[in-house]
Amino acid sequence: MASADSRPAGTTAATRNAADRKSNAGTTPDPWEMCAKLEYGADRSFAWAVQQQVVQTPPEGRARLEERLLKSLAQPNCTEAGRAFLCRMLAMVGSAKSVPPLAALLRDVRTTEAARYALEPIPGPEVDAALRDALGALTGPAKAGLIGSIARRRDAAARGALVAIKDNAAEPPLVRQAATRALECIGSTQA
Amino acid sequence: MKTLSALTRREFIQRSSVATAAVAAPLILPSGLRGAGAPSKKIAVGVVGCGNISDSHFPALLGYPESVRILGVCDVDRERREASAARVNREYGTSDCKAYADFRELHARPDIDAIFVCTPDHWHALVAIDAMRNGKDVYVEKPLTLTIAEGRALVAAARKYNRVAQHGTQHRSMKRFHDVAEFVRNNGLGKLERIECFIPPNNRHVGATWKPEPVPAGFDWDMWLGPAPWRPFTAQGYHYNFRFISDCAYGQVTNWGAHYLDIGQWALDMDNSGPVAVEGHGEFPSTGLFTNATKVDFTVWYPNGIPMHCRTRYEGGGTSRFVGERGWLDIARDKMSASDPNLLREMQAAGKKIQLPLSNNHHENFFECVRTRKHPIADVELGHRTTTVCNLGQISMVLGRKLKWDPAREEFVGDDVANRLRGRAMRSPWSLT
Repeated sequence: MASADSRPAGTTAATRNAADRKSNAGTTPDPWEMCAKLEYGADRSFAWAVQQQVVQTPPEGRARLEERLLKSLAQPNCTEAGRAFLCRMLAMVGSAKSVPPLAALLRDVRTTEAARYALEPIPGPEVDAALRDALGALTGPAKAGLIGSIARRRDAAARGALVAIKDNAAEPPLVRQAATRALECIGSTQA
Repeated sequence: MKTLSALTRREFIQRSSVATAAVAAPLILPSGLRGAGAPSKKIAVGVVGCGNISDSHFPALLGYPESVRILGVCDVDRERREASAARVNREYGTSDCKAYADFRELHARPDIDAIFVCTPDHWHALVAIDAMRNGKDVYVEKPLTLTIAEGRALVAAARKYNRVAQHGTQHRSMKRFHDVAEFVRNNGLGKLERIECFIPPNNRHVGATWKPEPVPAGFDWDMWLGPAPWRPFTAQGYHYNFRFISDCAYGQVTNWGAHYLDIGQWALDMDNSGPVAVEGHGEFPSTGLFTNATKVDFTVWYPNGIPMHCRTRYEGGGTSRFVGERGWLDIARDKMSASDPNLLREMQAAGKKIQLPLSNNHHENFFECVRTRKHPIADVELGHRTTTVCNLGQISMVLGRKLKWDPAREEFVGDDVANRLRGRAMRSPWSLT
């Protein structure tokens, strides 16, 4: 059977493999790009492939993973479902490096839920600071949810801001109640 | 019977299957039943969640008309809550039972004593904690909570507000399961070697993709999602099927695992502790609406080295098998068998050194404790511990690796990713605090 290989005779195996890799790279979608374009209800197998890398990569490889997740998150065509997925992944492997881009999303009511989902479990004072800073940017239910995350993290440095919210008659009852409970939660940790 | 229920004498005698025990016990009222919570005061009940789980509670709750009264039902589905209220009122011949769309309004009623939490799993913790904060006792359907963090918060709330809190693992009130746990605890099988739990398969069949649909009239989708991440509505993903979506539940791992793993915990005297390691290798769908494992396979190991396996069985219902040096025992809701019939006979023998508390009816046990303020047979601490075992299996299967668990600190040892999966941020405005 005649070979369909049009490459010149005499090329080495290494050369052929490199050419194959380059060729295939152009025809196979990159799951890291595709997962950012995820739509609710659509095929999510690309996201699944990314998730498997996230959960299976050993600790020494997680910084590289985080970079790739943040790169996907920064794509201008990142969808709502894609953002939610990427933030779920960052909730597992994110570090202080993720805080600046997530903090920007946290302050926007359209993206705050996904960002908070990622930030709440990430350890470190950078996250606490980002959550506190967002208190002035959010209102209503989103602010109540934010206060809940601050409480879960037992951020004692937020006590002053929470007292001010609790005592502010201009805040809606939902937000003031969230601040009251957060103070109970943070206070009980110190006792 | 060892315990006296909260029923009136007449109800008690009518319901008892052992007449001699029935006439012997209820003639003596414990001191707790003669005080403020005397039987003359009916226990007023609210039911949150009017789906298939509450359907299994209503016949029992309606069966005590002289001592228990359902005064409110709540569901985000108007059709369901109105149908449930109508059912209760029809049974009582009154119009006293009100329908609520928001559980907080029901909890605010000072005349309600106890709340039955029958919602989808992702709501269990928030509804139960809010009820207890408002002074209600709670009966929380299984699994106790969705996550480990929620479970610990729920137990803390029960203690903080001094509430009676029963986990809806009714196997704890079925004599067959009691007898097996007690037999194993007394080394009836000799040295125990392992426990094998089988649970039914996960996930109904849906396609690789799904389409968002308009929310049905009279249905509050935003409230139904509550603390779960937002997603568009699809009819394939709410009533009953929610359990196959990991934002809301962990499928049969928690649905049936909460029952069968629970008996293992009981038999191993682990009600206040748990395993020290877990390894899981489940199979998950790579696309489609449902995200929970289609094949469950995990093992937990206890401090004494005994493993408890949990696996999917594609034919047949759930069972637990206890294997020891003298043979094995199989236990399910409807049957029990053993490698040697003598084991079953020995199990019924009196005079065992270790005797486990006995309850013959999960509802009655709860109502008794509402009146006496004692811990119920399936107190939420042990419910939390069993739900934790389910979570350990789920997390290990998701990560695909063996994990070490510290049951005292309730944290994984040396695995930061696993520890982050013990809880999750809640969608606004909801919070565990």
